[in-house]
Amino acid sequence: MRQALQYFFSEAATSLWRRRRSAVLAVFAIASGLFILGLFLLITTNGGRLVQRWTDAAELSVFLRDDVTSEQLGAIEDTVDRSGLVARREYISKDEARRRFRRDYRDLAVAADTLEVNPFPASVEVRLIAENSGGDVVDALVTKLATTPGVADVRFDRRWMQRLIGVLALVRGAGVFLVAVLAVAAALSVANVVRLATYARRDEIEIMQLVGAPATYVRGPFIAEGVIQGGVGAVIGLLMLWVVFAVMNARYGRMASESLGLESLSFLPVGLTISILAGGMALGCLGGLVASRSVRTW
Amino acid sequence: MIEAAHLSKVYSRGVYALRDLSLRVEKGEFAFLTGPSGAGKSTFLRLLLRQEIPSNGQLVVNGRNLADLKPRDVQAYRRSIGFVFQDFKLIESQTVLENVAFVPRVLGASDAQQRRRVFQVLKWVGLQHRMAAFPLELSGGEQQRIAIARALVNDPALIIADEPTGNLDPDLSLEIMNLFREINARGTTVLVATHDRDLIHRVGRRTITLDHGSLVEVT
Repeated sequence: MRQALQYFFSEAATSLWRRRRSAVLAVFAIASGLFILGLFLLITTNGGRLVQRWTDAAELSVFLRDDVTSEQLGAIEDTVDRSGLVARREYISKDEARRRFRRDYRDLAVAADTLEVNPFPASVEVRLIAENSGGDVVDALVTKLATTPGVADVRFDRRWMQRLIGVLALVRGAGVFLVAVLAVAAALSVANVVRLATYARRDEIEIMQLVGAPATYVRGPFIAEGVIQGGVGAVIGLLMLWVVFAVMNARYGRMASESLGLESLSFLPVGLTISILAGGMALGCLGGLVASRSVRTW
Repeated sequence: MIEAAHLSKVYSRGVYALRDLSLRVEKGEFAFLTGPSGAGKSTFLRLLLRQEIPSNGQLVVNGRNLADLKPRDVQAYRRSIGFVFQDFKLIESQTVLENVAFVPRVLGASDAQQRRRVFQVLKWVGLQHRMAAFPLELSGGEQQRIAIARALVNDPALIIADEPTGNLDPDLSLEIMNLFREINARGTTVLVATHDRDLIHRVGRRTITLDHGSLVEVT
């Protein structure tokens, strides 16, 4: 088995070297396909982390009227506590709201200080239990709080988060479709290169058949050619992706992580990277297999 | 060893390449197959190599009816016989060692076993010193001896040669025939197809003559 594989891959490497120009095209077809797949995965992986973080940190803000009474505040807090959906709640006074604004928006702090009246409303910030943050019961709580006396407004970011999840699903779907098209194109490129190899080596194939080489020995080198092209293409695609990620992360990573609330942007997980590599080799193998089927083996 | 019984091969438009051919080559025999161009020699050899299937009749080699071989068994059958071609059919991109070692390699022999066996057969044909050479670096006679070494490497019970001296001068032809005689003397059945009547006469073995696809003479 080891000997056979050694034979397949050494023959394949020699053959690819002889036809390196056409092989380079096939390798770049695979590299491009897998680069685009990796890009989509990079976006959706980091997008997924973002959604997860925002879901975990889902907050419901109950803004209070300036004339709210302590009884009304007590009733509001009671409604929140009895809902069973809440992990934590915190009362934010008008002064605390202004202090936070100054801290978070330093450029605008001066403008806020010029105002004679504090425009920031007091609020009750509610941290929801993560598994309850998307349910209809939250909608019911929001509706109930909105009609409770002393409440000016209730803000809950679930709707646009759902939109974000929808957009991510759309991106993922578009990515899958695009990658499927590119995968077919890449496999066809490999198949064409391998078919050229079968044509160039037809005399050799005939001799192998006449001396009784088994089908695996005749077809093996061509399948190995596909695997090599796929593997090299995947490695190049991943390297291109890593370079693009490193450059983007160096330039915009800090800004993106600060504005999105992520600690850092991350490259693809190791498992996914290995899957892309294996996928490239599988694509190449498929191309080689398709082309080698044109070789009669007896 | 080889038994053809009422063997026919008909191509399209009803053209007979072989017609009702019956012949036997016994185990351990050295026989020539001869006849003019179009006599059916090549068709008979293609049937022996199982490149084609008889239209009628039976062709049995070493107890195996070739028409009954399944595609997956054809390669095993070919490995069990040795075949020598007029144009040598050596793989130009491989060294002499790699060409001759091909069959032992596909049969799973280790590198050491391959080298040992290849050295033995190359020594036997007198070319053990050319193991690292490529076919195009060798003369026609040397290439044919390499092809014979490849046919012998698996120690087959039957060697079939198709015009093995067709591309060689008379001296080299006789040298190659002497090799076949030595192979036969060791117990291997040899069937050589040739139209070189002079060579047949000089070697002097049983001769099966075909013409227009039929057996016309056995001497």
